[in-house]
Amino acid sequence: MYSLIIKMAWKNSFSRLSRTLLLITMIAVSMSMMIGMQGLYDGMANNMLDKNKRSASGDISIFATEYRVEQDIKYRIKNAHAIKEDLESLAGVKAVVLRLKADGLAATARKSSFASLHGIDLDSEEKFGKFSEFLKEGAINFDNRGALIGLELAKTLKLRIGSKLIFSTQDVNGDINSLSLRINAILQTTNISLDSNAIFIDRKKVHKFLGVKDGEVTQIAIMGEDEMLANTLKDKYAEYDVKSFLELQPMMKMMQDMMFIFNSVTFLIVMSVVFVGILGVMYVSILDRIREFGIVLGIGMHYKYIRLQIFLEAIFVSLSGYLSGALLGVILLVYLRDYGIDLSAFSDALEMWGYESVIHGTIKLSYFTTTFAAIITASILSVLIPLRKIKKINPIEVIKAQK
Amino acid sequence: MIKLQNVNKYFYKDEPREVHALRDINLTIEDGEFSLFSGPSGCGKTTLLNAIGALDSVDSGQIFLDDREITTLGEEERTSLRLKEMGFIFQAYNLVPVLSVEENIGFIMKLQGFSDAQIKKRVLELASILEIDKLLRSLPNSLSGGQQQRVAVARAVAGKPKIILADEPTANLDSMNSKKLMDMMKELNEKEGISILFASHDELIRDSVKRVIKMNDGALV
Repeated sequence: MYSLIIKMAWKNSFSRLSRTLLLITMIAVSMSMMIGMQGLYDGMANNMLDKNKRSASGDISIFATEYRVEQDIKYRIKNAHAIKEDLESLAGVKAVVLRLKADGLAATARKSSFASLHGIDLDSEEKFGKFSEFLKEGAINFDNRGALIGLELAKTLKLRIGSKLIFSTQDVNGDINSLSLRINAILQTTNISLDSNAIFIDRKKVHKFLGVKDGEVTQIAIMGEDEMLANTLKDKYAEYDVKSFLELQPMMKMMQDMMFIFNSVTFLIVMSVVFVGILGVMYVSILDRIREFGIVLGIGMHYKYIRLQIFLEAIFVSLSGYLSGALLGVILLVYLRDYGIDLSAFSDALEMWGYESVIHGTIKLSYFTTTFAAIITASILSVLIPLRKIKKINPIEVIKAQK
Repeated sequence: MIKLQNVNKYFYKDEPREVHALRDINLTIEDGEFSLFSGPSGCGKTTLLNAIGALDSVDSGQIFLDDREITTLGEEERTSLRLKEMGFIFQAYNLVPVLSVEENIGFIMKLQGFSDAQIKKRVLELASILEIDKLLRSLPNSLSGGQQQRVAVARAVAGKPKIILADEPTANLDSMNSKKLMDMMKELNEKEGISILFASHDELIRDSVKRVIKMNDGALV
């Protein structure tokens, strides 16, 4: 019985081929465009999140209490090496770095600007966040009083590779000290704060410059996969200020939420179009065959089987559209992931907001599962109105009408 | 056996244009009959056929099929009754266009729940009698009117109903095809023992049937 219903539904789905192909194309194109846009939105957000994590906060950061408010080196984590070792032994922790930061004044012979001196270990940073990928110009090393500087700060101070600068700040005893540095590399992290203010030098040199002991740092940044890790660390290091990425970067959270809203609105618009498309085609298709339904009702086919047939017809067409759309979507997403969209013409504006000028898409399974559920739901809902029409058919009227 | 007692049917009841379509019909149709409702256009032939076939309701009176009253049945029960007990042949053939001839003949049997093997056997048997055995894989649209009507007859007969109701089955056929169809239906009536009731004013049918039930103005005459 059901094999006959499935057969009739399948054959009817493709009996008016041009109409069905039009609907399949409409679903496929709408869906692939929507998936492409979702991939791009997410790619933009993820790229920004990823670079912020890699260059600054990691997934979790530990600070001395009050450091984040006061930004003063007197609030330091005292036993950083022991904590680092302890953290590295924890399951779910992928990498840990120690950083010592001090705010001060960077000056050249003609210009000066507020700047932050970041003491880092290059090897650890490379493992932590592929630090070398932030290189814009020059070479990443600290040779010959070498320093690495953020792109925007370099522009502000008009610095090039090999330029000299003086960084001045108060040391741990409150004395003002200066450090002469030479620019070895210019970095672009797309982290607005770092690009505008950061000067990176070897952490050991910063310890010496500020008079801070080797095991004392202002930040311990952690990369970890476990979402519960932040809570574990908050309990474990209650005497410190332990913050997750999104707590440290509320703007990123806002951006994630904004992208979610963008995606949801796009999704709703596209699905509404798909719904109206399926509804229109199914309605016309059913009206075309109203006589056929009246006759089969008349000769003894129960309404429930006709309803099943109509549902299957809608699902077959929608599913064909979905599969074509998924295929197109995968091709589009793979292209966007591998080659991206080059928006170099707007690079200044984009970089100012922390975006790269070439935007790469991401691929998530959820794009396809959510769309699948939405299309199947849309196809089922779209036949409810036509089905009401069939339910009201009086076989006698149909038979009379054809005489 | 079909028994009708004081059956009345109105169209547009209680309206100025009210039509008394069936007037106090009392009739008994025995098993295996090969009968015709005959009369001028609008005399109530098709209305009576539809009432007997549980396609249409009546306003008063009772219709019994083997002592089972069918006038009081609900929509679902009437559909089941039509599926199991009745076969229908229409003027416009009304085959399912996306199904092959073989599938169309087996359509009712499939709905009735017969196995594929049983359906196949029955389809071949009927196709042979109705001389459409070479068309089993064709789609209805590729057949002539006469061939399509023979497929419709095969579909109606396939499920072995108690009664077949044929409304103007020859109206769209030429005389040669009409004669052929009537001969085949007569053969089926004799071989299968199925009652066949026609509603028509075709003289060929009148000459072929065993009983002619004349009607005028909704009443038997």
